[in-house]
Amino acid sequence: MSGQTSPILRIAQIVFGVAVVFFLLAPIVAILPLAFNSSVFLNYPIESFSSRWFGELQSNDMWRRSIVNSLIIGSGATIVATVLGTLAALGLRSSQLPFASAIRTTFLMPMVVPAVVLGVGMQMLYGRLGLANSYLGVVVAHAVLCIPFVLVSVSGSLNAMDPWLERAASSLGASPTRVFRRITMPIIMPGILTGAVFAFATSLDEVVLTLFVAGPNQRTLARQMFASIRENISPAVAAAAFLMIVGTLCIAGLVGFLRWRSQKALKPA
Amino acid sequence: MRVPLVPPPASAVGRVNACCEGPLSAFINLERISKSFGTFKVVDDLDLEIAKGEFLSLLGPSGSGKTTILMMLAGFVEPSSGAITLEGKRIDHLPAHRRNMGVVFQNYALFPHMTVAENVAFPLVMRGVSKTEAAERVARAIDMVQLTHIKDRKPAQLSGGQQQRVALTRALVFEPNVVLMDEPLGALDKQLREHMQLELRELHRRLGLTIVFVTHDQGEALTMSNRIAVFNAGQIEQLASPEAIYDHPETRFVAEFIGETNMFAGKVEARDGARTKIRLDAGPMVEAYLTTEFASGAAALVSVRPERVGLSETSNAANAMPVKVLDTVYQGDHMRVRLAGSGVEMVAKVDRKTRAWAVGAEAFATFNPDECTVIAP
Amino acid sequence: MMSSAMRARLRALGLIMPLMAFLLVFFVWPLATMMVASVTDGTVRGVLPQTATVLAKWDGEGPPTPEMAASLVTDLRMPVDSLAFGDAVRRLNSELSGFRSLMSRTASAAKGAGEGQALDLVAIDPRWGDAKYWLAMKRAMPLYTDRYLLAAVDLERDASGNVAGLDANTSANRQIMLRTFLIAASVTLLCAAIGLPYALIAAASKGWVRAILLIAVLLPLWTSLLVRTAAWFILLQNEGLINDALKTIGLISEPLPLIFNRTGVIIAMTHVLLPFMVLPIYSGLLTIPANLMPAAASLGASRIKAFRHVLLPLAFPGLMSGSLLVFMVALGYYITPALVGGANDQMISSVIAFFATGTANWGMAGALGLILLVVTTVLYLVYGRLSRSPTMVAT
Repeated sequence: MSGQTSPILRIAQIVFGVAVVFFLLAPIVAILPLAFNSSVFLNYPIESFSSRWFGELQSNDMWRRSIVNSLIIGSGATIVATVLGTLAALGLRSSQLPFASAIRTTFLMPMVVPAVVLGVGMQMLYGRLGLANSYLGVVVAHAVLCIPFVLVSVSGSLNAMDPWLERAASSLGASPTRVFRRITMPIIMPGILTGAVFAFATSLDEVVLTLFVAGPNQRTLARQMFASIRENISPAVAAAAFLMIVGTLCIAGLVGFLRWRSQKALKPA
Repeated sequence: MRVPLVPPPASAVGRVNACCEGPLSAFINLERISKSFGTFKVVDDLDLEIAKGEFLSLLGPSGSGKTTILMMLAGFVEPSSGAITLEGKRIDHLPAHRRNMGVVFQNYALFPHMTVAENVAFPLVMRGVSKTEAAERVARAIDMVQLTHIKDRKPAQLSGGQQQRVALTRALVFEPNVVLMDEPLGALDKQLREHMQLELRELHRRLGLTIVFVTHDQGEALTMSNRIAVFNAGQIEQLASPEAIYDHPETRFVAEFIGETNMFAGKVEARDGARTKIRLDAGPMVEAYLTTEFASGAAALVSVRPERVGLSETSNAANAMPVKVLDTVYQGDHMRVRLAGSGVEMVAKVDRKTRAWAVGAEAFATFNPDECTVIAP
Repeated sequence: MMSSAMRARLRALGLIMPLMAFLLVFFVWPLATMMVASVTDGTVRGVLPQTATVLAKWDGEGPPTPEMAASLVTDLRMPVDSLAFGDAVRRLNSELSGFRSLMSRTASAAKGAGEGQALDLVAIDPRWGDAKYWLAMKRAMPLYTDRYLLAAVDLERDASGNVAGLDANTSANRQIMLRTFLIAASVTLLCAAIGLPYALIAAASKGWVRAILLIAVLLPLWTSLLVRTAAWFILLQNEGLINDALKTIGLISEPLPLIFNRTGVIIAMTHVLLPFMVLPIYSGLLTIPANLMPAAASLGASRIKAFRHVLLPLAFPGLMSGSLLVFMVALGYYITPALVGGANDQMISSVIAFFATGTANWGMAGALGLILLVVTTVLYLVYGRLSRSPTMVAT
């Protein structure tokens, strides 16, 4: 498409592209070194390199607790969302299901309903159900937000699967249960894992619902970062951000690897 | 040379072959089968008997219902009405995994997460065959199709032909009642396809398999089958041996779908035993053999295969029409000659050695009454 | 015997049922609770239940009856949560001023008098003889009310029950909705202005250039929203990198105000939402055969014409669904305005959160939430339509 582009247009394209890439990446890159700043201000220049803020994450009760909470709540929400989302994706695949597309649209709604709106409703309901300020309540709230990601991911790998494989397995004598266990399940496993990873990342980053339904005991890392930015800006935020970015890169790498492996296995060389 | 003047009745049709000598018994029976999706009838009140040990091809254009029949046999599609029996027992409500039928799919449907050996072992594992016995049978089967050197590869690492053979082996290893094949050679290139046709024929003969083979490729059906069922619009137009299908098509659809044919419209004039005179609408009188009953004066079509049309300068044959050569096309093993005259147009395939025909040359187109078929319009 | 189609249908229903039940309880029910709260008013009713029953039977014509007075005294003698009582009085006062003193005087008189002793309300306060106070009380009694929904758009019912505009300085919801719309629209326009050329460049490039352009979009998408907002916080503050850099090169002497104002909110939100614009346009452009532009050129189209008549129409569906997505998500934004915005940059979500957690005014939180929910749902359904049949918009 850019075969005979004029030089001026070409230069404009390069300048524009570089500027946008800078705009997109600079903030993320800029925050990383501050995690190692010894200064008590979350700002440049870097006085000297130190790991004191990572120590702070470990020793400060609020930060340490919030990290543990995030791991507990993230795991819980991931398990709930992955199980329910995978089952639903399998059900939605059936051509015999009436109103399948309307049901799918409804299942994806948590992705678009503003978190504050859902949070207000949950806070009211949780008060009545006695779920307010409980781990179970936060896990469930996060799971609601995570489900669409699992559903999309698992549905994607189900769609990519050759529909004849299951028929082939049953013609070879496998009962429906065994078809699922030995054929469907292993083939869509990368999709399920990708969905689970997305679910965990979503839970890790969730703030709004947590604000509404969690008590001080369920304060998550994201919630703690929110409070820290809002109230007393401490470079511990940069250290937490550093951990999250590194975690994200690992997760992105894992998802990339899973996709690559499943493509290699499913597509002819 | 072996063409019967009048084909035997359909119930006894079947080329006598080394694998299935003796009287044919109905092994699988499809009785008054219909299937509709919504208001659309894919299969319409169809009867079909499949004999043990035969190679039956279901041939027809796409959407003619042939694949639906195969899917019904395999148990993936439930007939809307009618019954399917295997050795006298109803199987139409049996789920696919309890039918013991080997299926070879168009895209092979090899399990991508299993090796070749694991794919082939799958049906044995499902049947609870002991590990050692399964390993032994898998090894033997893989050896038979000469895939031992790639038995530990995943399907994605195999060529199309190798995948095809793995799919076939997987469908045979558990000694199924019947092997159902859904255009299994469609994805292969021409050379490999022809090679696999011969290999399949050989396998059928050697193992005494019962094979139901769906294809839209007439050459494939003619090469391999004991019998061919020609499908059209959810019904079987004709069920007969390849020779009978080719030389004596019973319907216009069969005549036109299989091979190439010259078709002349006319009226039955006078009947003399099996031999009938037909007055073509264009004028000439043609003599032909009747396969079905026609009343005098009934409208009829005369079908003559191009390779049965002879060209000569003089003729006193029963059917000889004066024609002019319109065009000649060199086709390698023969010449294709387009002819017109006596109010009709036709095509002849003639041996290159006999004579070179110039465009515009005058000649007689001749054909043997035994080699033309009269069919209802 | 059950047909296989029936069995397959039951199996599919069984598989979606757990999620269906889960979302009914934890997604639909909360939203329904919020909606009900937006049309329910139990503040006065909860404190004065008997009065509510008696007043419901009163036709509002004629003088107050002794029965009404008796039930009010009975209610006032009941032990009651002082917070709830305060809410009820405030609510009554908003119907008709004067209730504050009237209620406190009457309540203490009712509690002071002995059990079962009849009280003459008019003697306690002559205003009880005036029917308008009883009418105001009757108006505040019904369980279902439209006052929150009306108040959400700065409307109220006057004494005669007609809908009227609210006093300009009492509430500012319309202004906040307009602001929310303006911020979301500016962010959408900025995203489109940056995203469309960026996607075109990415689709036209190859190899490592394309890889870098795509990673630059995907990496922020993967990074925590909080991390990105914190990063902008660092960059935009008065002593932040941007101001420092501008001062160093001598463009400014005083720091530009970039944070806690509209500029900061729009910059940070554009950064966060830009990937949602680039990706749909980019994937739409990828479906264009690579030889289409040369084909257009060979048909005699000039480069600009080829761009306008071939490339742009093909990028248009992606631009439309990207814009809808960005706008829809931006409308409900909370975190970014809360952290990098000032008091005048708070969007509707912040107001909802304020009503819910700050003042526990569930009615107002519910009413504003309902408006945001309806708008978002409509946009989502339109989005679903668009992205299902992308060619529809192109033609």
